[in-house]
Amino acid sequence: MADIQLQNLSKRWGTFVGVQTMNLHIADGEFLVLLGPSGCGKTTTMRMIAGLEDTTEGDILIGGARVNDLEPKDRDIAMVFQSYGLYPTMTVYENIRFPLKVRGIPQAEHHERVMRASATVELDDFLQRKPAALSGGQRQRVALARAIVRKPKVFLMDEPLSNLDAKLRVSTRAQIKNLHHELKTTTIYVTHDQIEAMTLADRVVVMNKGAVQQVGTPLDIYDRPANTFVAGFIGSPAMNLIEGRMTGGVFEADRVRIPGFGGIADGPVTLGFRAEDARIADTGEIAAPVYSMELLGDASMATVQAGGALVAIKAAKDFMAQIGQPIAAHVPADICHLFDAATGQRIERP
Amino acid sequence: MKHRSFFWFFLPTATAMLLFIAFPIVSVLIQSVYAPHEQVIIEVENCGPFGCTATTTVDQEATRALREAQPMGRFVGLDIYFNRAHLAVSEIGALWTAAPDLGTFFSRLLGLPFYGALSFTLTYTFLVTPFSLMLGFVIALSVNALPRILRGPTIFFSLLPMIVTPLVGGLILFWMIDSRGVLGAFFQYLSGDPDLSVKASTPMMWVMLIVYGIWSSAPFAFVVYYAGLQTVPQDTLESAMIDGATRWQRIRYVMLPHLLPLTTFMALIKIMDNFRVFEPIISFQASAHAQSLSYFIYSDLGGETRLLSSAAATSVLTIIGIVILLSPVLVRTWRSFGKA
Amino acid sequence: MSTTVADRRPASLRLALGAFLVFWLILAAFPFLWTLWGSFKVEGDFFSRADWMNAVSGTLTEAETGAPFTGDGYYGAWVQEEFWRAGLNTVIVTVSVVVISLTFGTLGGYALSRSPYRYAFWLLIIALVFRAMPPITLVSGYLLPFFEWNLWGHLPTTIIVLVAINQPFTLWMLTSFFRNIPKDLDESAMVDGCSRFQAFRHVIIPVMWPGVITTGLFSFLLAYNDFAVTSMLLSRENLTMVPKIESFLGTTQTRGNVMFAVASVVSVTAPLFILVMFFQRQIVSGLTAGAVKG
Repeated sequence: MADIQLQNLSKRWGTFVGVQTMNLHIADGEFLVLLGPSGCGKTTTMRMIAGLEDTTEGDILIGGARVNDLEPKDRDIAMVFQSYGLYPTMTVYENIRFPLKVRGIPQAEHHERVMRASATVELDDFLQRKPAALSGGQRQRVALARAIVRKPKVFLMDEPLSNLDAKLRVSTRAQIKNLHHELKTTTIYVTHDQIEAMTLADRVVVMNKGAVQQVGTPLDIYDRPANTFVAGFIGSPAMNLIEGRMTGGVFEADRVRIPGFGGIADGPVTLGFRAEDARIADTGEIAAPVYSMELLGDASMATVQAGGALVAIKAAKDFMAQIGQPIAAHVPADICHLFDAATGQRIERP
Repeated sequence: MKHRSFFWFFLPTATAMLLFIAFPIVSVLIQSVYAPHEQVIIEVENCGPFGCTATTTVDQEATRALREAQPMGRFVGLDIYFNRAHLAVSEIGALWTAAPDLGTFFSRLLGLPFYGALSFTLTYTFLVTPFSLMLGFVIALSVNALPRILRGPTIFFSLLPMIVTPLVGGLILFWMIDSRGVLGAFFQYLSGDPDLSVKASTPMMWVMLIVYGIWSSAPFAFVVYYAGLQTVPQDTLESAMIDGATRWQRIRYVMLPHLLPLTTFMALIKIMDNFRVFEPIISFQASAHAQSLSYFIYSDLGGETRLLSSAAATSVLTIIGIVILLSPVLVRTWRSFGKA
Repeated sequence: MSTTVADRRPASLRLALGAFLVFWLILAAFPFLWTLWGSFKVEGDFFSRADWMNAVSGTLTEAETGAPFTGDGYYGAWVQEEFWRAGLNTVIVTVSVVVISLTFGTLGGYALSRSPYRYAFWLLIIALVFRAMPPITLVSGYLLPFFEWNLWGHLPTTIIVLVAINQPFTLWMLTSFFRNIPKDLDESAMVDGCSRFQAFRHVIIPVMWPGVITTGLFSFLLAYNDFAVTSMLLSRENLTMVPKIESFLGTTQTRGNVMFAVASVVSVTAPLFILVMFFQRQIVSGLTAGAVKG
C-alpha cells in the first residue's frame, strides 16, 4: 500500500515533448484513470512510473521513496498490458506463478497463492492451458491474476480492455472495479475510452499533447470541464461548441441567440452545451434546418447547422423531422458553459 | 490457381529439377550396381625361332566393342556397396573376430575409408551445428546491446566469413595456420614448440576444420537470431521485467522460448549444409587426416582413373544418410499435414 | 528506442559484451585484412619462417623487389596464368545462372504461392529434400551421361546444372515472398479481364523486384562460390575462378607461385566485399525471411 507522487515529471525525445511538467499526488488506495486521445502522453506517464521509460526531468515517489533509479522489478508494482504480455510457452498456472518464482518467494507458498489469485478472477478451469488456447477475456484475466498474485504496492493497467469485444469489455470492467474494491491497491489505469474512465475512476486525469488538462472526479469533469478540449473530449456525443460573440450579456452566432449571461465581458467567446440538456421547442434560442436525424433507441438525435458547426440536440424518440426542415431548440443560459475564445479556458460565471 | 496454368508456370523449374536432380539420383543408383568392364584378355602365341611363348595382351578391339555395346558396364548387384572401400562387410567381420576389445575394434573400423569419412562428417556436423548456433546467439545478444549507429558496420564485418567462397575462406585460414603463417607462429609461441605444425597432426587438423566450420556458420545464426530478437514481443519482455525477472531470466523464459522455432529451422539448414562439408578439406589439404563423404566422392571422381561406380555407391550411401538425418522433420511434416 | 533504467546493463556486463564483440570482429575480419595486406608481399614474407613481423614490414619484399609492396602475385596470376580467362568464365556463368534461375524461379514460385492444392505443398517438400542433396552426389550422377553425350566440359552444361541445383532454394524464397503479395492484386486484375499470365506480367512483375533482387543475390552467391560442380564439370580451359585457384595449388606449389593463389584469392573475395557493402540490407532480410516467418 502506497501513495504515488509525480513531481515536475517531464519526458522529451529530442525536441518532441512526451509529457510536460506533470505534478500529481495519487492517494493510497485510489483508482486513478489517465484519459486522453492517443499520443497524449498518458501511456508514457505510466511507463515512467513503471520504470520502463526514463524520466527526462522530475521525480517519481512511491510510498514517499524516490524510485527514479530503481529497476522496474524493484519498484514493487504490477502491470497489465494491452496485449496482455503473457508467456506463450507457459501454462496459465506457470504464468501466474512466474513472478513468485523469479522473486525467490518460498516454493511452499506458490501453490496456495496461485490458486487464490486464479479463484479471484475465476480461472480455475483453465490452469493447465496455454495462453494460445484461451479467449481474449480469459487471457486478460490471466494477466490480472499474474498482477495480483504478488500483492504489489501499485497496479498499473495500460488499456487492458481495448483488445476485447464490446460485451466482454463491460463485464471485465465490472470485474476490475470489484477487484479494486476488494484489494484496495493504489491503481493507475490508462485508457482513451471515457466510459471506462467515468465508471472506474475515483479521479480522472485528462491529458492532451503531453499536458494535464484537468484533474477531478468523473462528475467534476463532466459537469465542469476546465477547457474546450475536455469539453469536446468527454461525453457522448461530445459537448456542442459554438464560436460567437458576447454583447451585453447576449451570446450571438449564426442562427443562435442566447440571452441571460449577465456580468460576462463583451467579446468573442466559445459557448458549449450538452445535447441532452437542450430540448426541441416551437421557438428557441437556436433555429436552424435539420442536417440529419438519428434514432438512438431510447431517444433520437437531431443535428442542425448553426454557428458554423454541427450542433446535436437530443429529442424524444418519436420526434420526426425531415432533413432541411427548420426546427428550433430551447437552450437556456443556465445549461451553457463559456470558454475563452483565445485560450479555450473555462470562464466562470458570476 | 487452376491446374492448367499451374502446370505451365511450373514447367520450366520442374524440368530443370527433374533432369538435373531427380534423374542424376536415378543415374547414381544405376551406376552403383554396375562396374566397368574388365579388359578383354587374349592369349597370343608368339612363335619365334626359339619356340613358342604364350603371352596375354589386352584385346583393344574387343574391349572397345564390349564397352560400346554395354556402356553401363557389367551388372554386379550390391557388390560395390559391400567392398572394402564402402561398407566393407567382410573386413568388419574379420576385424570383429580379430580385435581384442571394443576400443581396438572401433579404432580399426575408423581406419576403413568409408567409416573414417562417415565419422568425420558426423563429428563435424554435430559439433559445428550447435556451436555455431550458440556463438551466433551470443553475437546477436551483444550486437543488440550496441548503439544503433555501430550495428551496421558490425553486421557488415560479421557477414564476411559466411559470404566468402568456402574454398577461399578455407585457404585464407589455412595460410594463416601454416607453420610459417602468422597464426602458426602464434601457436608455436604458445606451445613453446618451434616445430609445431597443425598440418602434421590429425587431431589438430580436425580441430581446425571444426573451428573453420563454426567461423563460417556463425554469421548465419547471428543474423537470424538478431532478426528474431527484434521480434520478441515487447509486452512480454516488459511484463517479465516488472514481474521481477533478472536479465538472465528474461533470456531464459522469454527470449529463448520465442527463438526456439528459429533454432529448429537453422539447425535443420545447418545440418544439411554441414553434412556436405567438402571445400575446407581441399583448402586445408587435410585429406590425409580427415575425409568427409563429399570429399570421398570427389576424390573418386577426380584424378586419372575416374571411379564412377565407387563414387556412385558412396553418393547413394550419402543420400541415405541425408534422408535419415532429415527423417524426423519429414515425418513431423507428414503427420501435421495428415491432421490438417 | 531509448535506453531506460530497465534496459541499462551494468557496466561489467557491457564491458564483457563489448570485449566479446571486439574479439569476434577480429576473428571475422582480421583474416581478410591480413591476406589482403600479404598479397602485396613476396612469398618469403607472407610465409615467413624467420619472423611473422616480416609480413608486416615486408623485409624480403623490399630486398627482392625494391619496394615494400609488390604486385607480382597479381601480375603472375592474372597475366601469366591467365586468371582473367577464368574471371570471364565466372562472369558468363554467374550472370546466366542468376538470370535463368530467377526466370524459372519466379514463374514456379508464383505458381506455388497461388495454388490452393495439396500438391503445391508436396512439391515444396520435395524441393526441400533436393535442397539437402550434397551437389557432389549429383555430380557423380552427371559424369557418365555427360561423357556419353559429349556434354562434359562446356560452360552451358555447367550453367544449366547450377540453375537446377539452385532451383529448390529459389523456389522456397520466392514462394514465401509471393505469399506476401496480396492475392487481391492479381485476382482483381483477372476480374478486370486479364488472363493468369497477363495478371502476372502486368500486376505482379512490377511489384516483385525487392524479393527477386534478394533471391538473385543468393543465386549469385551459389553460382559464384560453387566448387563441387564447376571443378568436376568444366574442362581446364573453361574453369571459373574458384576451381582455377585450386588448380594453382595443385600445379604451382613452387616458390613464389603460391602468391599467385594468394593474389587470386584476394581478387575473388573483393567482389563479394563490394556486394555485401551495397546489399547488406537485402542479404540480411533474405537470410531471415524464411526463418523469422517460420
